[in-house]
Amino acid sequence: MGHLLFILPICFALIVLFVPKNAVRIVGLLGGLTTLVITVGLICTYNSANGMHYFVKQDWIKGFGMTMHFGYDAISLLLLLLTAGLIPLILLSNYKNELASNRLFTSMVFFMQLGLTGVFVSLDGLWFYIFWEITLIPIYLIAYWFGAPERKAALLKFFIYTFVGSIAMLAAIIGLKSMAPSFAYMDLVNVALTDKTVAFWLMAGFFLAFAVKIPIFPFHTWQPDTYAKAPMAGTMLLSAIMLKMALYGIIRWLLPLFPEALETATYCIIVLAVIGVVYGAVIAIKQNDMKRLFAYASLSHVGLIAAGLFTATVDAISAGVLQMINHGLVALGLFLAVDVIERRLHTRSLSDLGGIAKQAPKFAFWFAALAFASVSVPFTSGFIGEFLLLKGIYNYDWIIGAVAGTTLILGAVYTFRAYQLSMYGPVNTAEFADLHWSEFVVFFIIMVIIVVLGVYPAAIIDFVKPSVTNLLELSSISTSLAK
Amino acid sequence: MDALIIVFASGLISLFAAFSKKPILVLSSALGGLLLGIVSIIYQITGGQSFVKLGYDGLEFTQASLYYSLTILVFAFLLIGIGYSRFKESTEHIGEYIGLLLFSATGAVIMTAFTDMFMFFLGLEILSIPIYVMAGSNKHNALSNEASLKYFLMGSFATGVLLFGVAWIYGATGSFKVSEIAQAIFQMNIDNTMLFIGILFILAAFLFKVGAAPFHFWSPDVYDGAPHVVTGFMASVVKIAAFSAFLKLFHEAFAMAHDFWVPALSGLMILTLFVGNLSAIRQTKLKRLLAYSSITHVGYTLLVLISGSMTSVFDMWFYMTGYGFSVIALIAIGISVNDEEDKIEALKGLGKRNPLLAIAGVIAVLSLAGIPLTAGFFGKYLVLADAWKEHSTLVIIALVNSAISIYYYLKVFGAIVSKSETEQAPIKLSLLTTLIIVITIIGMIGLPFIIPFL
Repeated sequence: MGHLLFILPICFALIVLFVPKNAVRIVGLLGGLTTLVITVGLICTYNSANGMHYFVKQDWIKGFGMTMHFGYDAISLLLLLLTAGLIPLILLSNYKNELASNRLFTSMVFFMQLGLTGVFVSLDGLWFYIFWEITLIPIYLIAYWFGAPERKAALLKFFIYTFVGSIAMLAAIIGLKSMAPSFAYMDLVNVALTDKTVAFWLMAGFFLAFAVKIPIFPFHTWQPDTYAKAPMAGTMLLSAIMLKMALYGIIRWLLPLFPEALETATYCIIVLAVIGVVYGAVIAIKQNDMKRLFAYASLSHVGLIAAGLFTATVDAISAGVLQMINHGLVALGLFLAVDVIERRLHTRSLSDLGGIAKQAPKFAFWFAALAFASVSVPFTSGFIGEFLLLKGIYNYDWIIGAVAGTTLILGAVYTFRAYQLSMYGPVNTAEFADLHWSEFVVFFIIMVIIVVLGVYPAAIIDFVKPSVTNLLELSSISTSLAK
Repeated sequence: MDALIIVFASGLISLFAAFSKKPILVLSSALGGLLLGIVSIIYQITGGQSFVKLGYDGLEFTQASLYYSLTILVFAFLLIGIGYSRFKESTEHIGEYIGLLLFSATGAVIMTAFTDMFMFFLGLEILSIPIYVMAGSNKHNALSNEASLKYFLMGSFATGVLLFGVAWIYGATGSFKVSEIAQAIFQMNIDNTMLFIGILFILAAFLFKVGAAPFHFWSPDVYDGAPHVVTGFMASVVKIAAFSAFLKLFHEAFAMAHDFWVPALSGLMILTLFVGNLSAIRQTKLKRLLAYSSITHVGYTLLVLISGSMTSVFDMWFYMTGYGFSVIALIAIGISVNDEEDKIEALKGLGKRNPLLAIAGVIAVLSLAGIPLTAGFFGKYLVLADAWKEHSTLVIIALVNSAISIYYYLKVFGAIVSKSETEQAPIKLSLLTTLIIVITIIGMIGLPFIIPFL
């Protein structure tokens, strides 16, 4: 059944190119939902006792050590579910736009899904890299074709930044492979890196690729521009799903592959990530453009996840996975809220907005609910995730933990500032139609999941814990070693 | 051997077929001959025996040379096919055009299979001389004439240098045969100045032929001035032939003098990469961009010569084949778009004008840039992975360059995928061109997936 994860997106990416224009959105939704059903099926049949499930395991090119190993464990499955779940939501949230009936757009979304799925199931270094790179093309094209008029410079920056990161990873993969019999995941994990300097540089190669994509503090400059210039669907894809590739990469590749090198580097990386948390939040407070504001907010939230993952404890990583799902949902919701405003008023600058709550009470309600979810109040899925992450960082080093903790306060400041300035105050705009049914459905689904996970986070945490434990055993970083 | 004779004969037939004033006859005899040659090579690769046996040991078709020849003939086939739409405009010259390209391909095949310096030189000249003529085939165009003259003067000078080098080698080793030269170097004193001078001369001539820095100055002008097909021919067939010949020379004949030429070549490789990449950044013309990008690709391929592992022959074959398909696809686009000034900007709106061309163009650019799942990526990977163990610094420099190169490939990519401001007529492709573009797409995507079957 795992094969369908590849076959379906390819099929639908090609099919939508040839269906009549008014059927594109239906076929797109249908395609997204089919993959979702398959993914749910995989989750239902998954048994954590067996560890890694390979659905393809064979040699590809023997002489060069290339294999075809694709498989999943609980971590991959949850990210697959996130991808498969968010793609139909993204298509649905653009339902009213012209974009949704554009063949090329829908096709590119499915190509994107193919790449993302590949990243999450690849258990072979080369295939991981291949899929990692492939995702760049559709997102670049989506932003290039449908983005804001002055997008080109921002996109060039984005492409070159991420490409340089990927190239560094390619170098590291080649270097690592030269010590292993093949690219297979287990072979790469079993490489004994005796030389500390070599280990460090190989780790740095992977880290650079992930750090650019997440993005971690000094590598983030592409992000606000690209988010602001991309069309809303592109921003949603980027922030809700695409950067999860990098977080997943940390869990799956960086931690198990380079425990020796990380021992020395972890402290620096966590400090950088936490700088990003505070920096993103502080800049978000001063933003006038709502999209930029949430872009910086995303930087801040994701930095916290990254910092938590690097503490390499079972709790923090499980919470990190939960928080990835939460961030995907919340980011999608918030960007949709911005888009709802932009579609109607053709502006998203806070100084022009005001009083929308009076005109569109339904929208105001859902936006408020999302704002609360974004600042992680109890009974939303963010609460337990952020709490466990902060606890992990606090245990690692209490000063860093305390600094990272300010995100809770700063997060409330920028989120509610945005909410207040746009929704309350004097009515600045003539007319504001309330939610379209498609927008309503998206908000509703997102909030239901957020609340369910908020009340019962164990559904996720218990599901991933065995896999995380396995992974950490692989990396031989035990909880005690991480101090 | 069969293929060599077949292609040469079909070249002659094409020349005579031109008397009939029917371009289609010339084309079909050329393509038929090439197809027959391709079939005979595939027959030999799969284990069949050559029908013609010579009592002369100057040519030896090993498995490796068969693969290289196969690529050469396929590329010649594709290029003659896409060039036909231009060739047929001058009915009285089509015989020469196609005949010369076929003779050049014959020379290329000889260069993959020589076993002594004599045959090597003969192959090189048979390869080069028709190209000197063909570069100027657009004879009412000043640029084309300049290209031809420039290429001829520089090329003959390089040939002289090469001959001089061969003479020094003969002086040092007392033989023209590749195997005997290797034997002699193996037995001789390590510091043999005569030998080193010879190697240096040959190296210089070689770098000239493939267009590596600092012997690259001719290539942008010649690429730009020559007609599209000839540019494509120089970038694909000539390069693959030259590389296969020099791989043989440096890995078999001069293998033992390894310590002498590897550092020199490493320095030149770094220079080539940076010169090619940094000059390409500001280009606005498609063919000039191709010229500089081809200099960069020569840089990557030099890494194969430097690393010298068991799989070098295969790596280089794979890299050059993947590269050739991309170049031919872009050349086909250049011919079809038919822009006066050959501007990259003219590619705008290609998706509307002809989706197939746009798809081929996008894949070709991605393949040149080395984005995964294209032949270009796997080629680059093979080259770099092989070189990693001994020359990891060079690999990192190559990767840095590949990051620089993304900038100008993205420019072409952006031009192809963006909409054009002005309304342009759709491009109609002939059946032959469509077929060839489909073949290049299959080549660029499918090449990595046939490796397990080789």
